This record gives sequence, structure tokens and C-alpha cells, in this order.
Amino acid sequence: MKSLLKIALGLAAPVVLGLLTGCERPPIETVQTGFRGTGMEQIYNPRTLAKQASLNKAPAPADEASPDGPKASEVYKNVQVLGDLSVSQFNRHMASITQWVAPDAGCAYCHNVQNFAEDNKYTKVVARRMIQMTQRVNQDWKTHVAETGVTCYTCHRGNNIPANVWFAPKDRKYAGGVLGDLAGQNIATKEAGLSSLPFDPFTPYLKDAAPIRVNGTEAMAGIGKSANRASVKQTEFTYSLMAHMSESLGVNCTYCHNTRNFQSWEQSRPQRVTAWYGIRMARDLNNDYMTPLTKTFPPERLGPKGDVAKVNCTTCHQGAYKPLYGAAMAKDYPELQALAKP
Amino acid sequence: MAQYQNLFTSVQPVGPLHHGVDLPRGDDKRLGTPFLFHLLGRIGNAQIGPVYLGTLGLASLICGIAAFNIIGLNMLASVDWNPIQMVRQLFWLALEPPAPAYGLTIPPLNQGGWWLIAGFMLTVSILLWWARTYRRARQLGLGTHVAWAYAAAIWLFLVCGFFRPVMMGSWSEAVPFGIFPHLDWTSAISLRYGNLFYNPFHALSIVFLYGSVLLFAMHGGTILAVSRYGGEREIEQIVDRGTASERAALFWRWTMGFNATMESIHRWAWWFAVLCPLVGGIGILLTGTVVDNWYLWSVKHHVVPAYPLGSPLVVDPALLGAKP
Amino acid sequence: MAMLSFERKYRVRGGTLFGGDLFDFWVGPFYVGFFGITTIFFALSGTMMILWGAAMGPTWNLWQINIAPPDIAYGLRFAPMMEGGLWQLITVCAIGAFVSWALREVEICRKLGMGLHVPVAFGMAILAYVSLQVVRPVLMGAWGHAFPYGIYSHLDWVSNTAYQYLHFHYNPWHMIAVTLFFATVLALSMHGGLVLSATNPGKGQVVKSPEHEDTFFRDLIGYSVGTLGIHRLGLFLALAGVWFGIVCIVVSGPFWTGAWPEWWGWWLNMPIWRT
Repeated sequence: MKSLLKIALGLAAPVVLGLLTGCERPPIETVQTGFRGTGMEQIYNPRTLAKQASLNKAPAPADEASPDGPKASEVYKNVQVLGDLSVSQFNRHMASITQWVAPDAGCAYCHNVQNFAEDNKYTKVVARRMIQMTQRVNQDWKTHVAETGVTCYTCHRGNNIPANVWFAPKDRKYAGGVLGDLAGQNIATKEAGLSSLPFDPFTPYLKDAAPIRVNGTEAMAGIGKSANRASVKQTEFTYSLMAHMSESLGVNCTYCHNTRNFQSWEQSRPQRVTAWYGIRMARDLNNDYMTPLTKTFPPERLGPKGDVAKVNCTTCHQGAYKPLYGAAMAKDYPELQALAKP
Repeated sequence: MAQYQNLFTSVQPVGPLHHGVDLPRGDDKRLGTPFLFHLLGRIGNAQIGPVYLGTLGLASLICGIAAFNIIGLNMLASVDWNPIQMVRQLFWLALEPPAPAYGLTIPPLNQGGWWLIAGFMLTVSILLWWARTYRRARQLGLGTHVAWAYAAAIWLFLVCGFFRPVMMGSWSEAVPFGIFPHLDWTSAISLRYGNLFYNPFHALSIVFLYGSVLLFAMHGGTILAVSRYGGEREIEQIVDRGTASERAALFWRWTMGFNATMESIHRWAWWFAVLCPLVGGIGILLTGTVVDNWYLWSVKHHVVPAYPLGSPLVVDPALLGAKP
Repeated sequence: MAMLSFERKYRVRGGTLFGGDLFDFWVGPFYVGFFGITTIFFALSGTMMILWGAAMGPTWNLWQINIAPPDIAYGLRFAPMMEGGLWQLITVCAIGAFVSWALREVEICRKLGMGLHVPVAFGMAILAYVSLQVVRPVLMGAWGHAFPYGIYSHLDWVSNTAYQYLHFHYNPWHMIAVTLFFATVLALSMHGGLVLSATNPGKGQVVKSPEHEDTFFRDLIGYSVGTLGIHRLGLFLALAGVWFGIVCIVVSGPFWTGAWPEWWGWWLNMPIWRT
């Protein structure tokens, strides 16, 4: 009996200790995303979810402004975008953008308050391009953002710099280069979700257009031209990107896939198509909007390799399956929904 | 009423320590003075030592320690020689094989060269150790069953680290040295090749893995249950069947209709344990060389269950000629 | 009569837990007992239901037959037969059959004057099954979280359940369980090999003694656990492996909802060395 007790204690002790080290507790909530018994489910801790929901609220929209009166481009100087808005609409937009991006610094974050038309602050040049970027997302990437759309707040959330942007990681040199190469992985990083997977899946897939798919369409290994040449190493990079996407949205792999056959679109959920477009959208934004702004930013805003801050899934989603849990902010700012006609 | 279950030895008789069966001439002397470790004696033998070092053992240890040090120093270097970070990130650190671009060529030292050296030293160490297990058995007049069981494990090790990478034409396919990184490799190879659960050799290997766990629970439990009749004295029971073997056999015969003998159970055990890495190694060797996608292979062989699909059917956007 | 040469003297009455002499007999080599009757009842009912479920399904292909649990929407209620209710009944029969089998093993041990180690060990396996199909679903609020009955379909469940946590290998309890499983295979190969090497020493050699067995492992690694110790060790490794397997899956979901790599944050962020 005594030995039985000892065994029971020996088994129970590590479990108790384990449970004490940063674990959660029931009840939990689950959503089935596939056929019953397949194990395709989303799992949520309702307490965590409630806290996250409170942190991801959209601010109230500014009161509507009248479209009457002269256009902003007729009244103000150097208005390159949003010129077709009325003065009151324009001012409304400026007030909102201040609240979304620079609530503490105010107008002075972008403007010389003695001469609002001046472009000598880099923030004004960047902001102008970002307004165009927002319009681009809402007009041309409905395949990803649908009618919900985005505003500056979606990324910035009241911060000058969005809380989640990425830079190319710095190169490391060890022991005169004789020993120790990380090979782009094998340390504990936030970017890899604390795994030892590659810590920069963003450069190859969200800036460059490296192929993400690694599975072939044939059962047997091909020879020569028809061979699937993807490597196990390449798969780890894809895996890291997928883990990033999952963590950014607060979902798991079964949100999009039936993991018994990851590649099959038939067995996947519609969300996977949305994600496919999301990847292309991120590339578009990084290459056409962010990277050309590299010289505009001062050095302290650039990464260790001198590159500009770029977007990934976390930049907008910030842990929610839809940014701001699907709050439709863009509908209250029609000026952000389309690029101006040239 | 409480009963003694013979899980821990309560009274340890202490006698003269055993210096080992005499070795034939040509062998070295054994190393170390044996001593007793009382706590160990509550589970098994209390005696620790002596050990036989020997030429093969020494050579194996040298190669093995070399490999260990190469791996460890590279890990330490990758965290800028910071010992605190070495401890903190130990599970994440690794010595990586060369990148795919190098194929089977020898890369620079810090781009996979060290991995090749460490892998080579470890392999030599393991093979020398195998020779040691074979020789020690022969010198003691024992059969070489332990050595051949070890050979099955070496088969799997070489498949993962050598045979398959060579057949794939790329060292990068091999396993990195590192706790979490080798687990990443395991996930990645399953992701790349269409889900290894659908590899029938992988499935069979798991059958033998779980089967081995089942068998050792059964055999360990059975022997402990008849230890009151001297069941653990297996050699004697094999050549001269006593009531322990009889009761053990009858327990299983009455339970499931058939039984092993005191000897044959050890053959069941040996084969189940050996077939796990043996069959598993075959499954890994076929992966990527013969079969590129095990799920699709299983579809071809009509074993994949069907589930109702969602509606409307999801279509690959890349096929739509979609804009970007 | 299917009896071994030495068997007759062991076939005595007694040792039963329930039912006295009523079912204390053998059919061929099988001992019956009260729990033999209950085993047959549950096993046959469960099997019949599986066959019926297969007949109602799209295929008789052994690998593709699938009997799925209910949708999660049914919670912990009883579901319609064709919507998972059948699965629920089969599960009840399975538990009934497994527990009956264990209790029958107890009766056999008692009759043979043996310790109860084997049925207790089997109890750990039953605990694993019950944890997966009852305990964890109850903690998560729905029978639909359990695994389906089907050869390949249950593997699909394993794959998807694991990927719910992005990278299940990082589950520390899973790591311990896997280590113990592999250690069990290792120890089994060593024990089987050692006993066979002593009793089958090769041409011209005599059968060896436990002293030879001990000497072999002392020469090899400096320690030999011994004839009694190896059986304690093997039983422990096997049962501990199963135990940590139970822990690793019961924790996944009820006590951890995120990605398993993220769990390691507590270690990485300790104040003494956080970066």
C-alpha cells in the first residue's frame, strides 16, 4: 500500500507542477470546423478571448461631415491625395488620422503647425503614401478584406508605429565564421512562435514570391522534369509561415486545412482562399508601398540591415481571426475605399 | 489487507561484490572498484561497476565525445558564446546539416561541414560500440542477440542520417543535431511527403512500438506476479520449468487462449522491439525516393476514408488565373 | 481437451470476485467466470454495432470503415443513432468489455495464486482509453472531441487534434511520454536479447547463468539492473509512458488552448535570463 502511495505521488507531482507552470483551466469553448470526429476544431479560452476582445475594439467613428462647399484641394495647398473631399470632410479625416496614428503628438507629428502645407517632416510623406495604401487595400484586395475593409487604425491602433511590424533579421558572425551558423533558425524567437523553426519566413514569402507549396500532385516520386524538388528544409520555412499565420489570427491549422492532406483545396475551408489572397496582398503592400519608402524614413526607423518596416499577418490581425473581430470601420470613411482617379 | 507487491526491495542482503565472470586471455582487466548504491538496490542490483573499457570501448568513447563536443561547441558559438543563453536556449539550439544547395558536396565548416564531421564521428562511435556489444557477448560465451537488436536501431539511424540523404542527393534531408530542431525535422518530413500516418511501414512500425510497450507491461507484470515462485530466475525456469513458468503460462492461456513459454516470450519481445526500427527504417527509406506523397499513395491503394466535403466546394485560387 | 501437460493440477475452484461457482469453468483453454460472460456480452454487442454502422455506411473496406462521434453541437447529450449515437453505445460497450476483461484477469490471478500486476497494468491502458474518450471530452464539454472508430479515420483525428496546437511535439508531457516509449522498446530489446543470449549461446557452448548476464551489462555500461530489476524497470517504463501520454492529451484542450511551442515562454522569460 505504501509503495502504491509512493507511485501515485510520483505520478501526480509532476502533473501538478506542470499545471502550475503557466497553464489554463476549463471550461473552454470549441468550434467544430470539419466533419464530426475528424478533430477539426478551434479551441478558445473564453477568459483570454474576453480580454482580447476588449483590447481589439474599434473606436467610434467621427461625426459625419458635410460634403458641401469647396474642395480641400482648392482651399489648402499641396493636397495630393483626398483633394476631392470637402473641407469639412478633409478636416474630419485629419482629425481621425491623428486619433488613429498620433493621439499624443497631435497634428505636429506630421505637420509643421506654422505651415501645414510643408512636407519637411518624413511622417507627412509616409502618411500620404499610406493613405494610398489603405485605399488600395480596400479597392483592389476585396478578395481578402471583403466589404469590411481597413483604416489606418487597423494597423496603427493609436501607435505611431504599428505594434507588429517586421524587419530582415541581422546577420550574425561567430568565432570568425568557423563555428556556429544558425542557418536562419534554431534559436528561440517570437517570430517563430517560440519554436526552433526558421525565424524569418517573411522575406521569402511576404516580400519575395518564393513558392510556398511543397507537396506534389503525384503519389510516386517523379524523375527528371516531373520530380518534386522541394526539400524538407524548405518545408520548415513553409511551416514557419503557416505557424505565423495561425498565431496572428488566433486560430490553428484546422481553421483552413484538413491536416490529413494539407494540400487539397477540396478538403480545405473557404478561409484558406482568403488567406491565399492575404499573402499576395502582403507582398503587394511590402513591395509597392513600404519598400519604396525606405529612403524616406530616418535611420532610427529602419531595421538592423537598413530595411524599412514591413507588414505581415500580425500587423493587422493582432491575434484576431478578423482584425478588430470584424468591426467594419471603413464604411464610415468612404474616402479610404478607393484610389483617386489619376 | 495490504499485500507486498515486490515493486521495491525492502530488505537488501549485502554480500561480497561480484567482479564478473572470468574473461578469456587476450581481454584487458576490468576497470574500477565496484561499490554499492543502496537506493538503486531498492529497484535492482545495488552494485555499480566494474566496467570493461577495452580497445573498442575506448575508441568508441573518443569518437563519441568528439562528436558531442563538436555539437556542443557549435551550439555555444551560435549564441555568441554566452553560457547563460546556452542553458536558456539549449532545447532550441542545433548543429544543422548543409543547405539543399550543396547537394552531396562538402560545404564550408560552418555551413554544414561540422555537421558532416560530427555525424561521421558519431557513426564511427556507434559502429565501434556495436562491435563492442558483439565482442563482449562472444568473450563471455553468450549469444549475440543483443548486438543484432542494436543493429536494427543502427539501421534506422543510418537510414535517417545517411542512406536516405544519399539516395535523395542532398545532405540537407538529414536530421539536425538538436532537441527541438530534430522534432521540427520530424514534422517537416511528414508535411513534405503527404502525411506519414499514411505510410504503411510507418503504421506497422508504430504497431511494433506500441506492441513493445504492451509486451513489456505484460511480461514485466507477469514475472513480478510470479516472483513469489522465483519467476525472475528466467534462465533456470527455461531449462527446468518450475511452477512460476507454469502459472505465468496458464494465466495467459486462460485469459486469451494461447501462451508463450519462459523462453519464447523473450523471442516475442526481441522481435517486436527489433521490428519497430527495422520496419520504420524501410518506411523512411522509401519516403521521397519511391513515394512522394503517402496520402495520394494511399488513395491509389483504396485505403483512404471519405468524409462529406463542405459546400460550395473550395477551389484553388491559383487555378482561376487570378490576378496576383 | 486443449490442456497443457501440466495444466490439470492448476484447474481448481476459487478466486472468483463475483458469482461464486456459477461461472467458474473453462471453455477450451479460455477461463470463463462471471466477467467472461460480461466480456462476451459487451464485446459481441459492440462488434455487432460496429458491423451495423459499417453496413449503414458507404463501404465495407476494412481500412475505410468509420464510425464517428457526434457533432460538438450535441454537447454531452445522447445523439441520434446515425448522428453519433451509435458511436456512443459502442464506447459504452468498449469500456464494459475492457473492464470486464481486467476483472476476469483478476479472477485468474487469484485462482493461480499470482500477484495482480497484470490487470493493474492493463488498468493503465483502460485509463488511457477512458481519458481520451470520456474524461477529456467531458472536460471540453462535448462527446464530439473523442476519436472515431476506423483504422485510418482515427489517424486523421490524431493529425488534426495535434495540429490544433500547431506543433504537438513541443508538448512537454508528450516529449516525456515519447522518451519513455522509446526507452521501453530499447529495454525490451536488451532484455529479450540478454535472456536469449544466455540460453542460446551458440554452437558448442553451455547455457549460461545470471552471473553471465550481469557481467555482460556491467562490462558494457558499468551497471546491470538484474533479473528482478529489469522486470520492475520494464513495467515502470511502459506504464509511465502510457501515464504521461494520458497527461499530455488531457492537458491539451482543457488546460492549454494555445500553440504548444508558446508554453515554453515561462522558461524563456524567467527574470534571471530573459532577453
